[in-house]
Amino acid sequence: MVLEDYLKGIHKSKGGIIRSFLKVDNGLISDISFSGDFFMFPEDAIDVILARLNGTAATEEAVLSAIKEVYGSEGIQSPGTTPEDFTISIMQAVGGK
Amino acid sequence: MEAWRVIDFGKQDIRYMMAMNEAIHRCDEGNTLIFWDPTRSIILGYFQKAAVELDLEQVEDYTLVRRTSGGGVAFSDDLNRQINYGVFGTVDEINFPLDIVESYKHILGILIDTLEEYGLNAAFRPINDVVVDNKKISGNAMTRLDNKTLQHGTLLLDFDIKEMLRILNIPKEKFMDKQIASIEQGMTWMDKELGYKEDMHVVKQKIRKNFETRFGVKLVETVPSEQEEALARELLPKYHSDEWTYKR
Repeated sequence: MVLEDYLKGIHKSKGGIIRSFLKVDNGLISDISFSGDFFMFPEDAIDVILARLNGTAATEEAVLSAIKEVYGSEGIQSPGTTPEDFTISIMQAVGGK
Repeated sequence: MEAWRVIDFGKQDIRYMMAMNEAIHRCDEGNTLIFWDPTRSIILGYFQKAAVELDLEQVEDYTLVRRTSGGGVAFSDDLNRQINYGVFGTVDEINFPLDIVESYKHILGILIDTLEEYGLNAAFRPINDVVVDNKKISGNAMTRLDNKTLQHGTLLLDFDIKEMLRILNIPKEKFMDKQIASIEQGMTWMDKELGYKEDMHVVKQKIRKNFETRFGVKLVETVPSEQEEALARELLPKYHSDEWTYKR
């Protein structure tokens, strides 16, 4: 991926930094990925979150709801990092250039 | 008294050690403590992108690898003054609590007890750090497979912080928030705190003794099982692959 092509967000949660990289097409999130030193158990649940976010409306409400849904279905533990933290990072990217 | 395994791998290629960490975790042949001496290397946390976290032009002469646990970059320089360890255990109420932070706290008590023996003011700083006078001296990461915990990390005896700053692209926010003026002021290592170079073997022995006391077990020196060696060999190509290293 060429990082310059993406909208970027960064947010520091208590559990670590969350950087978001994404595109917005017709109001929907696409091609999203994260980089950061946070923890998530199980680790592969991050891919479920990313898959769920692609195609989600680029609004705070829709993003938070999508992430919370996956936290529930995957039984995610992420000490010091919440669905709200991911949402802040993502919405910063959505609102950025 | 219950006997747990201890394996000291000595100096090993970091890709082999990451494969071995995963192999021991998967094989689940009993609670185990391991040590290894890392070669010149950079280990990315599971959720980190190499191009974002590192200055890729500066890291060409480092072995770069990704690990299965989250957290931040682990950097090993040529000073060979880091104790790298791994603890493998089945989740239970006492030794390996289900709660992640409690589990860190319990295991990191071993490093804190060891540093206190040297008269250092060591403490647990959640989520996953050990600090001396609020300066980071040990970074750690945890991952789980079913009900099996793997915690691995490093205790710094000496550290080339200038070299780390050269290769990393560290977000300044992380340190501003902790009200630390610079990264250099936020980290420390044993040689600097003690004013002399303690023998690494002596520190390891103290860690072993404190491990036995904290867990109420006897450590028995051994080597990996045939099954663990075989799985590590099988996993090794993954740790050499760009697909894994640049997965994120």
